[in-house]
Amino acid sequence: MASNTAPLSLVDLSSQLSSTVERASQYVVAIRARRRIPSSGIIWRDGLIVSASHTVRRDGRVPVTLASGDSVEATVIARDPETDLVVLRADGLPAPASRAESNESSVGSLALAVGRPGRATTASFGIVSAVIDGWRSHQGRRIDGVLRLDLSVYDGFSGGPLVSASGGVIGLNNSALAGGAAAALPTAVIDSVVDDLLSRGHVSRPYLGVAVHPVTLASSTVSQLQLDRADGLVVLSVADDTPAERAGILVGDVLLEITGTPLTKPANLYDALLATKAGEPVSIRLVRGDKTATLAVTPIDRNSGGE
Amino acid sequence: MTSTFTTESPIGATPSELIDHLTQWVVEVRHRGSTGTGILWGKSGMVLTNAHCVRDGEDPQIVTSLGTRRGRLLAVAGDDDLAAISVPGLAGPSLNIRDANALKTGELLFAYGHPLGVPNALSMGVLHAVVRHRNGEAKFVVADVRLAPGNSGGPLVDAKGQLVGINHMVANGLGVAIPATTVARFVDQVRAARAA
Repeated sequence: MASNTAPLSLVDLSSQLSSTVERASQYVVAIRARRRIPSSGIIWRDGLIVSASHTVRRDGRVPVTLASGDSVEATVIARDPETDLVVLRADGLPAPASRAESNESSVGSLALAVGRPGRATTASFGIVSAVIDGWRSHQGRRIDGVLRLDLSVYDGFSGGPLVSASGGVIGLNNSALAGGAAAALPTAVIDSVVDDLLSRGHVSRPYLGVAVHPVTLASSTVSQLQLDRADGLVVLSVADDTPAERAGILVGDVLLEITGTPLTKPANLYDALLATKAGEPVSIRLVRGDKTATLAVTPIDRNSGGE
Repeated sequence: MTSTFTTESPIGATPSELIDHLTQWVVEVRHRGSTGTGILWGKSGMVLTNAHCVRDGEDPQIVTSLGTRRGRLLAVAGDDDLAAISVPGLAGPSLNIRDANALKTGELLFAYGHPLGVPNALSMGVLHAVVRHRNGEAKFVVADVRLAPGNSGGPLVDAKGQLVGINHMVANGLGVAIPATTVARFVDQVRAARAA
């Protein structure tokens, strides 16, 4: 470190951290929708609260305690099971949370977890220990920028904000994201999920109806069909009444490309589908027997069916 | 070089200044083969620690950088998990007490002691919550600070090195301390009993 840097003042840092918690406490609410202790929520936009879906055990109207001590009724309006996010609407909420600069959530950034597992706010302190790109939800969705934290996420903290030392929100704490370890969903993901939930009531999830497994084609097949690679995805099953069945995809087909994107692992297929729009056809190139073929398939939005 | 840290002009206190300050009044309490931490209470000739560090009433040994002395157990307040040990001839700087009612959630707190027998270890965290009695008086100071056996009886201080509490136990991973005002009241009671 440069010698002309002022020594770290613990007193300055301490007062900065406590005023950060004080500011954050204005937009952190307690949600009373489960037994035992309440969970935390963040006033994310005007009249909207976000929280961790697994901590809000009831639908419909749930009581929410504000920083003022007042209680308001909030209504659960949508959930996204993949990011474990829930959105609630309520009247009479204070101003929404301010967001941190994007450079405040790098590995090593100081961070405070703020919760309201009751009337008062509580806090824990640590650093961002890893930023994980390509994290997969249990349903396979790719989520970039998930924050792993070197701090304690205590009972009732899930759904509350992770704030930077300068006071902006960098994520929503949720210990269920990473099997009980401290983790937070980044603000960019929250915004995109909230946008989807508000406009459609769910997060779009284009769906084909195939189960696939990586496979390497025989070199004779590769040379005979003049393929530029030997890797593909073999179709293990085709579900009834799905886009894949309607397009004529068969068990045993080896999928090579979707709209020009090479398919070498199942995640490629999932990511490529997410980049498409449900209802618009995509082309899939495949090997069947000793021939290649290109089929047009129209994915459906699996989450729209009231699943 | 002598320490330049004073609690009166604390602005700009660095971690090393904080440690210089703490080493002047934090001692080791050895009792029946186990190690706890203690606080040299100003010029009173007393060391304050947890009652559970000196459990069966036997006199403990007090270890400082100057050597080891035998202390005499003066008083125990089991409900508050506090014990006072007389160690004639030992004196530390006068301590500044921080009232738990003035603490702010998220402010830095430090524990200093001998966790798992590791001498003079500093742990840092923030104030999590103040647990209160029904009458509003502080009962426990709860800190997001990693404590281990051996921290018991040692100080929890703020960024200025002011005494916030005596570390008492770990609950759900959180450090739980007896408020410094409760400790000061116990010290007054012990002094009054000695004078009587």
